[in-house]
Amino acid sequence: MVRLVFLGKFGEVAPAGLAEIALPGDVRTLKDLKDWVARQQPLLGAAMEATRTRLIVNQCVAHDLSQAVSDGDEVAFLPPMSGG
Amino acid sequence: MDVRIVQQAFDPQAEIAAFAKGRDDAGALVSFVGTCRAETGGSAVDELRIDHYPGFTEKEIARLAEETSRRFSCPDLLVVHRVGAIRPGEAIVLVAALSTHRSDAFEVVRILMDYLKTDAPLWKKETGPGGARWVEPRSEDYARRKEAEKG
Repeated sequence: MVRLVFLGKFGEVAPAGLAEIALPGDVRTLKDLKDWVARQQPLLGAAMEATRTRLIVNQCVAHDLSQAVSDGDEVAFLPPMSGG
Repeated sequence: MDVRIVQQAFDPQAEIAAFAKGRDDAGALVSFVGTCRAETGGSAVDELRIDHYPGFTEKEIARLAEETSRRFSCPDLLVVHRVGAIRPGEAIVLVAALSTHRSDAFEVVRILMDYLKTDAPLWKKETGPGGARWVEPRSEDYARRKEAEKG
């Protein structure tokens, strides 16, 4: 299983059913996963497409979408941040 | 260094007093407190909600604070950032720096605040009579962050 975390405005359009998924057979990289999420939930895909999206894997920043995704990973999708 | 994410309202003056207590090694204390405005861009704000990513948010803010602190002669730094539902007038963020001299303390607080605006894993949503909207950094926030990198 892979845990998916959608933060900020992404969390508002992500259905609860996407919180934990069995890793689809055709998903090997972060790019594959992002594309798969967009196919499952076009609204979420459009929201991610419209803004800068950062991916965090197991609480570490992913710098490359070609990074592999493995069973047991937690992948977070972050829209632009606004602290302070 | 003390970096905390808090769910409840906090008293910035009490935090600053506790942070500075007994620190006669420092000759300068500079603090910044950001508060929730009742109005933004001409629209009333009833509530500000800040989301965070537990674990990652704390780790990233601590990293930003450590990196900024290292660039200056800053013996100690305090960061308290509120998350959850915030009412107008309540404190959102407190950054305080203790340093030997004032220039380092001023710079650390200013630059860390610039980083927090764009790089802290936090997401703000304002709710008012006209509805709700997610807040994203303004172009001047990104410009300040770029300047902050240069120091």
